[in-house]
Amino acid sequence: MNRGRKILLLGLVVGLATHFVSYTVRRTYDPSSLDGQLAWMKSELQLSDAQFARIRELHEASSPRLRALASRVAQMQAEFVAFENTRRQSDRVDFIEFAHFVETRRAISRECLDSTRQLVLESASQMTPAQRAHYLGIVAPASPEARAVVR
Amino acid sequence: MNPSPDPLDPLLDRWRHTEAETPSLAPEVWRRIGVEERKKGALASFWEDLDMWLSRPPFAALFVACCALLGLFLAEVRVNRHERQQSALLAKSYLQLIDPLLKEDVVAKTP
Repeated sequence: MNRGRKILLLGLVVGLATHFVSYTVRRTYDPSSLDGQLAWMKSELQLSDAQFARIRELHEASSPRLRALASRVAQMQAEFVAFENTRRQSDRVDFIEFAHFVETRRAISRECLDSTRQLVLESASQMTPAQRAHYLGIVAPASPEARAVVR
Repeated sequence: MNPSPDPLDPLLDRWRHTEAETPSLAPEVWRRIGVEERKKGALASFWEDLDMWLSRPPFAALFVACCALLGLFLAEVRVNRHERQQSALLAKSYLQLIDPLLKEDVVAKTP
């Protein structure tokens, strides 16, 4: 192989190596963990270290409550499925039980909305106006307040 | 008694009626041969030129540096595309974290 072709091959190898090394060393965030989500938020909203620390604190404080609520919501969902199956099989509806279920469900929904609202507003209060606008745009599907602000 | 017709007769009849080859056939063949040779020559010339340029150290270094930059650029494009997809996923996960009602689309399913 003459020298020109060796250089051609070298260029190809260097280009590919640069590409793959550069692609693989980039930092990625774990979407399934709170740490990954908060790290992403820090980068996405360009939060300072102090803002990040405060927002992390807020999220960590509300995390157990939100998890408990998520568990109750899942439990209500399972109860609803069981209720619906009974209705289909026996063609019988216990209206008192159903009314009780709906009432409990509404109470949990209210509690969820309050918790979400509180976390969103407290987090947003730590941000600059530009960061807040971006953050509220992200959380708009979850928070009625954010939807109102974004509109 | 008539002999049975020979199957070659129709073909021989057709051959008799074949027109003479066009007088321009030979020049056309040579023209095509010439075009093919020029193509091969152009390819050989391209490789020779490339070898000549890449044999010079400054051009070789420039070529390798350009390859590295191209690799970086393409990696950047891929990373940007990946980050856009990941941002959407992270935003969705975050929403599910802060709003338990968004989990598994329970709002739409229950009363």
